[in-house]
Amino acid sequence: MNRGSWLLGRLAQIVPTFLMIGIAVFVLARLLPGDQVSAMLGERATDETIARLQAELGLDRSIFEQLLNFLVAAAQGEFGTSMSLRLPVMQVIAERLPVTLALMSIAMVLALAIALPLAFVAALNANRWPDMLIRTVFQIGLSSPVFYIGLLLLTVFAAGLRWFPVGGYGDDWGEHLYHLFLPGLTLSFSFAAVVMRNLRAGILAVLTAEYVDFARAKGLAAGVVLGRHVLRNALIATVTLVGLHVGALLGGAVITETVFAVPGVGRLMIDSILARDYPVIQALTLVLAVLVSLAFLLTDLVQMWLDPRVGR
Amino acid sequence: MTAQFLPDRRGFLAMAGGLAAVSFAGTANAAPKRGGKLIYGRIADSLFLDPVLNDANVDIWVMNSIYDTLLFPTADGTGVQAGLATKWAFSDAGKTLTLTLRAGVKFSDGSPMTAGDVKWSLDRARDPKAGAWNDLIASIDAVTVAGADTVVLKLKLPDPTILAALATFNTGIMPQKLFEAAAGATPADKAKAFGEKPVGTGPFMLTEWKRNQVMRLVRNPHYWRQGEDGKALPYLDELEFQIIPDDSTRILKLKAGELHGSEFIPLARVKELQGDKNLRMELWPSTKVTYLSFMVKPKLTNGTDNPLANLKVRQALNYAVNKDGVIAVTTLGLGKPMRSYMSSTTPLFDGPAPLYKYDLAKAKALLKEAGFEKGFEVTCMTVAGNQDNLNNITAVQQMWAAIGVKLKIEPMDSPSLTKRYRAEDFQMRTAAWTNDISDPGQITSYFAYGPNINALHSGYNDAKLNELYLASQKETDQAKRKAQYKEIQKIFNDAATIVSLYETPYTVAWRKNVVGFSQIPLGNNYFQAVNIGA
Repeated sequence: MNRGSWLLGRLAQIVPTFLMIGIAVFVLARLLPGDQVSAMLGERATDETIARLQAELGLDRSIFEQLLNFLVAAAQGEFGTSMSLRLPVMQVIAERLPVTLALMSIAMVLALAIALPLAFVAALNANRWPDMLIRTVFQIGLSSPVFYIGLLLLTVFAAGLRWFPVGGYGDDWGEHLYHLFLPGLTLSFSFAAVVMRNLRAGILAVLTAEYVDFARAKGLAAGVVLGRHVLRNALIATVTLVGLHVGALLGGAVITETVFAVPGVGRLMIDSILARDYPVIQALTLVLAVLVSLAFLLTDLVQMWLDPRVGR
Repeated sequence: MTAQFLPDRRGFLAMAGGLAAVSFAGTANAAPKRGGKLIYGRIADSLFLDPVLNDANVDIWVMNSIYDTLLFPTADGTGVQAGLATKWAFSDAGKTLTLTLRAGVKFSDGSPMTAGDVKWSLDRARDPKAGAWNDLIASIDAVTVAGADTVVLKLKLPDPTILAALATFNTGIMPQKLFEAAAGATPADKAKAFGEKPVGTGPFMLTEWKRNQVMRLVRNPHYWRQGEDGKALPYLDELEFQIIPDDSTRILKLKAGELHGSEFIPLARVKELQGDKNLRMELWPSTKVTYLSFMVKPKLTNGTDNPLANLKVRQALNYAVNKDGVIAVTTLGLGKPMRSYMSSTTPLFDGPAPLYKYDLAKAKALLKEAGFEKGFEVTCMTVAGNQDNLNNITAVQQMWAAIGVKLKIEPMDSPSLTKRYRAEDFQMRTAAWTNDISDPGQITSYFAYGPNINALHSGYNDAKLNELYLASQKETDQAKRKAQYKEIQKIFNDAATIVSLYETPYTVAWRKNVVGFSQIPLGNNYFQAVNIGA
């Protein structure tokens, strides 16, 4: 199989995946006990109000009719109107998604910026004090809940030192970046910890490989050995990890966005689930599934570049 | 929701610890400062700014900044005062109400408010097919325009609540022409489009709304009400609501000076903010009551016998709850024990003494009389993640253990709980309530009057109480109605279908230099007199 058909096959897998996700999401949203009308009306509801709202929201139709309508519309890119926000679902998601993507990108960049150099320091000083210190600090990062790290950073760097704003998102790109730094840092911690540990182990394994000894023996500068031979080979496993971690980052974004009052899709997801806003839950889950699938695809492509054996 | 009754001044002052008196016009002492932008942190965003079709407090509590009603609550908390109507008079034995409209009122787009707009707005609000609130003015039979500044309401029956209803959010006056010109084919679509860019006669107008993020309002240059300096209100140029669901973040933002004020400070953090020299904590008396409600039908949905059907058992469970203990645990002393099922801020409230004063011996005796000397097991559903509810129910769990009653707690999310509540598939649940109108009729129809929702879906139904309630809804003699409500409250409180726990205030925190805000017991936020001092 050549690389082109491998890629096509890889892309074709995505279509049935989305269909299954679509059906699963629809069914899961409706398996949640309680419904939109109860969520909206609470105790005040009388039978007449409930009947009126159900008809208004199309919830009085049969479940199969609702599913069919959903799938047909979704195939046309039509996800209807949010029940609670009363706005087109795609408009709501289109407004929020860039915020979350920006947050995740910042988190990834920060995580790599933190993890890469420290992984080298740790690996080159394996089992000596710098290694111990770095691993201990990251162990704490890995085991602390995201909301706790978030509040800690907010208290110290925003409310205390006043270096950063306490949550929010700002009005232009400069402000967005400024507002997203602390939440990005919060989100990056557990990710950085995973990358650092993995990369450290990878570097340690590669350092003892024969081709590294050979590169050294033929007199290459230490920097070239580390960059071209050690890092590139140690990164292969790490790239897979980064790809797989996109889903986890999305999960972390849900909490981070709530703590930092960032108007992204993470917070939208929580709000929609609490409001049983089916159209938003369905569309958002699909969109996020697409996003994660694309991240996996990208991971494969990067791996193909890093490791020529992939796709052959 | 609205506004009929402002909080009792003295009670409020005592609670807020010497805060300057606040009125609609602003602060009593120094001349208010004009201009500036106020940033206020809200726990959740509004959903639909339509007076008639909204369903939630997040809309109701801020809509009075955009729409005015014909009447407003009085400052002394006893009735209504002039709003968009300056005079009102009953005739025809209480079946005709003639309202004289204020001259020269304009909508925020500069167009004049007419008698036609008033008729149209009231007709829309009372349409039985529109919205959840039309019952509040179901007594209106016809609205007629009787001159450029006169509107006449013909009532089906004399209605003691009609003035309160004309000061309630759903009767906000809207511009007919602009509403009809809004995009959309159906009235529902038009309401949606209009609600995105609402126009009213209120002190502010909406200029930008990013959902769940920020809502920006600016002063309405045509607003008719005057401030203390003799010029038009509001004092502020801009009002910005930032939506920050996380309590800790909202408080940090306030402490850092990024917010001027914040709503819904958790009770657990009130003391801390009271001690912050840059902040001022305000505790506004509310209509919020927190209680546990019982199923009183003899059989539960799963077919087992329900001990809570026995009056003596329910009374015993009430006597076995130490309310002061619960108040200390959950509200850190900020709550006060309920003395009736309705809050003490509700008109016609009657609570001569604490309900079921803690008495273990009496509780045990009652259980013995009821044949449950050895105790029994009872299951209570509660909203997972709500710390206050959990604190309440675990405190009660320990207290009931002392009389041999084993309380099982069943946590679930709110929509699930509501669904089982409506299906009457529960034995006990944790709950809280706030009024939507300054009248005891609404809470009574939900809690005690059987035919509406089966008295909190408990199965309680008392013929005498139902009769009294129906009579009270037609009784225009205030003294007689008060007597009816005294009896209704006695009957219902004696039936012990709920465990009345406590009343709590609304908690709002401000930077020290911001004054002039007020919140009435129904929850409405008033920003027109807010000003930012030096």
